[in-house]
Amino acid sequence: MEYIIKNGIVYDPLNGVNGEKMDICVKDGKIVESVSDNAKIIDASNCVVMPGGVDSHSHLAGAKVNVGRIFRPEDSVKDIYAKKGLRTGTGFSVPSTYKTGYQYSEMGYTMVVEAAMPPLIARHTHEEFIETPQIDKAAMPLFGNNWMVMEYLKEGDIKACAAYVAWLLKATRGFAIKIVNPGGTEAWGWGKNVHSLDDPVPYFDITPREIVRGLAEVNEMLGLPHSIHVHPNNLGHPGNWETTLETMKCVEGIEAKPRYGERETSYYNTHCQFHSYGGTSWKDFESKAIEIAEYVNKSKHVVIDVGQITLDETTTMTADGPMEYDLHMTNGLKWANCDVELETGSGVVPFIYSPKGPVYAVQWAIGLELFLHTNTDKVLLTTDHPNAGPFIRYPRVIAWLMSKKYRDEWLYNKVHKWAQQRSHVADSDKEYDLYEIAKITRANQAKVLGLSETKGHLGVGAEADIAIYAIDPEEKDGKKIEKAFRYAKYVLKGGDVVVKDGNIVKQIFGDTIYVDVQVGEDLMNEVLKDVEEKFRRYYSVNIDNYPVSDKYANSWRVIKIDATDIN
Amino acid sequence: MKELILTLQKDIIVPVEMDKVIPNVIENLSLEEIKNLELVQGRKRVKVGDLFDVELNEIEGEPRVVIKNSNNKLKYVGSKMTKGEVIVEGDVGMYVGAEMKGGKIIVNGNADSWAGQNMKGGELLIKGSARDYVGSAYRGDWRGMSGGKIIVEGNAGNEIGEFMRKGLIHIKGNVGIMAGIHQNGGIIIIDGDVDVRVGGEMKAGAIVVYGKVDEVLPSFKYEGIVENPVIKLSKKDEGTPIEGTFYKFIGDYVHNKPKGQLYISVENNPHLI
Repeated sequence: MEYIIKNGIVYDPLNGVNGEKMDICVKDGKIVESVSDNAKIIDASNCVVMPGGVDSHSHLAGAKVNVGRIFRPEDSVKDIYAKKGLRTGTGFSVPSTYKTGYQYSEMGYTMVVEAAMPPLIARHTHEEFIETPQIDKAAMPLFGNNWMVMEYLKEGDIKACAAYVAWLLKATRGFAIKIVNPGGTEAWGWGKNVHSLDDPVPYFDITPREIVRGLAEVNEMLGLPHSIHVHPNNLGHPGNWETTLETMKCVEGIEAKPRYGERETSYYNTHCQFHSYGGTSWKDFESKAIEIAEYVNKSKHVVIDVGQITLDETTTMTADGPMEYDLHMTNGLKWANCDVELETGSGVVPFIYSPKGPVYAVQWAIGLELFLHTNTDKVLLTTDHPNAGPFIRYPRVIAWLMSKKYRDEWLYNKVHKWAQQRSHVADSDKEYDLYEIAKITRANQAKVLGLSETKGHLGVGAEADIAIYAIDPEEKDGKKIEKAFRYAKYVLKGGDVVVKDGNIVKQIFGDTIYVDVQVGEDLMNEVLKDVEEKFRRYYSVNIDNYPVSDKYANSWRVIKIDATDIN
Repeated sequence: MKELILTLQKDIIVPVEMDKVIPNVIENLSLEEIKNLELVQGRKRVKVGDLFDVELNEIEGEPRVVIKNSNNKLKYVGSKMTKGEVIVEGDVGMYVGAEMKGGKIIVNGNADSWAGQNMKGGELLIKGSARDYVGSAYRGDWRGMSGGKIIVEGNAGNEIGEFMRKGLIHIKGNVGIMAGIHQNGGIIIIDGDVDVRVGGEMKAGAIVVYGKVDEVLPSFKYEGIVENPVIKLSKKDEGTPIEGTFYKFIGDYVHNKPKGQLYISVENNPHLI
C-alpha cells in the first residue's frame, strides 16, 4: 500500500525539519523518497505532520498495573470506552489493555515503554502486551534491588554483573536496565528504607551509589540501546533535590557507548518532578526545579523525563515499596504492597491531586518549571502514567507549554497560590513551539531509547509511524491545542491508517521489542552456575520455568548485540 | 405535570436498567418518545414500549413515574433522579435510587442490594425489606452516601451505610453483619437487632440500635449510660434528639482519634456491660 501525505506542515527534529510544507511518501510500511501515481492521497493541508509519538516511561501493563485495576473499581466506572467495532474497556487512571492501546493511538502515539517490569512476573507484562493494540511495546526489567546484581557489584565483579544483566534481559525479553529506589525496596523487606546515596542496604551492605554507578558501567559495557533508567532514592520527599543531584553526579564520567542506536546520554532520570523538591517538610516545601534544570543543561550525560502532575484523581504505582507506604500513611487511602522474592517489590495507592491543595499546586508548578528551564533537547514529556496523571492528559500538558495564557489561567484561577509563591513558574514567558513539542514527545525519546534509526523521525527509511494533527502552528487557545493533540486527524502505524478524525479505523498489533546481548560463553557459563544456585536455594520457581517463551508476543522484534568481547 | 404509568407486561429473566425512565427526563417527553426510549437489557437494547404498557397523564404538581407489576429484575430504578416521585408497585431490583440527588422513591415491596448507593439527596422509602449494602458506596470507593434519607420498613442485609458520610438511614427491622462499616458521618438508626461487628472501622457519624446486640467490637470504648441523648455530629450541628436509654460507645479505635458514636439500647442488652 502506498500513501502520499500532501501539503502538511512537517516537524521532524531529528532531521532538522522545522515547520516546512512538504509531502511525505509511504510505501510498504516505510517512509520512501517517492511513490507511484497509484498512491492514496492523504490531504494534510492546514495540518501539522509529526513522527508517531514515543513514550519512554509509562506504567501500562503488568502485575502492579493490574492490581491498580482490580482494587479500584471506582476508577473503572469513571471512564467507559465503548465504540462500535472495537473492544470495550474501562478505567480512567488505570485503563484496561485495549483502551490503553486505542487511546494512545488516538493521540498519535505509536510506541510505548512499560517502565517497570518485575523479572519474575515478566510473563504478566508480556501477556498484557499481547492484548494491547495499536502500539509497539517494550518493557524495562527492574535491577536496582536485585540480589545477584547487589552481590556482584559488592564484589566489584562488573563483568559477571554484565553477563547476569544480559541473561536476565533475554530471559524476561526486557529492553533496558530500570533502577527504582536503588537498595530501598530491598531494605523495605526489612521494614526499612535507604535515605541517601551512601546509606547502606541491610544485609547486602552496598550503597545506592555503588548500585547506580555499577549498573551504569554495566550498561555501557554491554552497549545497550537505552541508558540506565533511574528513579533515584527519596522520591516525593521534601529536600530530595540534593539526592537527585548527587545521583546524577555519581555517574559523571561514564560515557555513553551504545552498540546500537545513537544515544549520547548515560543517565536517564525519570519523573524528575518528583525529585526536585526543596524544603525540610511539607510546610516549607518549595521548588528546586531550576537548580536541577541548570545541572541537566550543563551535563552531557543526563536526560530527564518530567512526570508532570496533571491535577487529577489517579492511581500511584511503583516498585518503590516504602514510598507507597509513606503515601498511604499520608492520605489514608487503600494500599497494596508486594514483595517479589529476590528482585524487587511494589506498592499501589490511589491519590487525589486536588488543584486546591497547596503541595499539589507546587508539584504541578515544579513539573512545568522543569519543562520551561531545561534545554528542550534534554527533557521528555511524561506524566509517569498513571502516577502523576493519566497519559490521556498529555495534550493538556502540551497546551500548558504552548500557551502562556492557558498556563496562567490555571496558575491564577485554578490552582492554589503556593504555585506562584514557591516556584518560579509565573516568571517564565517561554512558550513551546511545535518543533520543541515534537522533540519532547517523539524525537528525544526515540533517540534516548536508541531507536532513532527507524522511530521518532520522518526521514527516508524510517518506519511509517506518522501523526497528523489539525492545528494551526500559531494556535494559542489552550482548549483547541488540547483537542487537536487528544484526537489526531490521522495516525499511520507501520504504513497503515489506524486513526482517522480521532477514531480508530483499523486495529493492529504492534511488535514487542527486546534486547538480546551475547557475551562471552565462558563468562556466561560461570554466571549461570551462580544463577542456578540462587534458583535452587531461594526462588519459588525452577530456573527452566523462568524465561519468557516465544509465544508471549504477537510479534517480537529483537535488537541483537554482540558483546562477546566481554569474557 | 406528567404522570407516567408503566405496567410490566410479563415476567422477565434478564434484568433491565431503568435509569432513563426518571421524572426529570420524562417531563420533557411525549408518549411516543417515552415508548421509544432504549433501555439496556443484558447485552441488548429494548424499547420501553416493548416491555411495558405505557400510559401518560397530566397531573397537578411534580412529575411522577409509577411502575406497576414490578419485580426484582428492574435495576437502577430512580437512579440519578433529581426531582419528582417514583412509585414502585411490587419488588425492585438492585441499585434503586443509586446516586439520586432529589425527589422521592416509594417501593411498595422489597428491594434488592445496593439500594440508595452513593445517594446524594432526596428520600428513598422501602416498605418491605432491603438486601445488602443499603446506602453504601460504589464498590471500592471510600466516598459513600453524602445526603438524603433512606427508610426501610422491613429488614436489611449486611454492610448497610458502608462509607456513609452524611444523611440518615433508618431500618425498622433487623440488619445483618457490619452495619455502618467504615462509616464517616451521618446517622444510622436500627429499630431491630443487629448481627456482629456493628460500626467496624467507623471514623465518625452515629449508629443507634434499639434491638439486641450480641457483642460490641473490643476496639470501641465504653462511655457510660445516656438518656434521651442529642446526637451531635459536629460542633455546628444542632443535634438530632433520640429517645431512650443507651450505652454509649466511641470508636472504632483501630483509627487514631475516632469520633464514631454507637448508642445501644440498655433495655434489650442487659448482658453487654
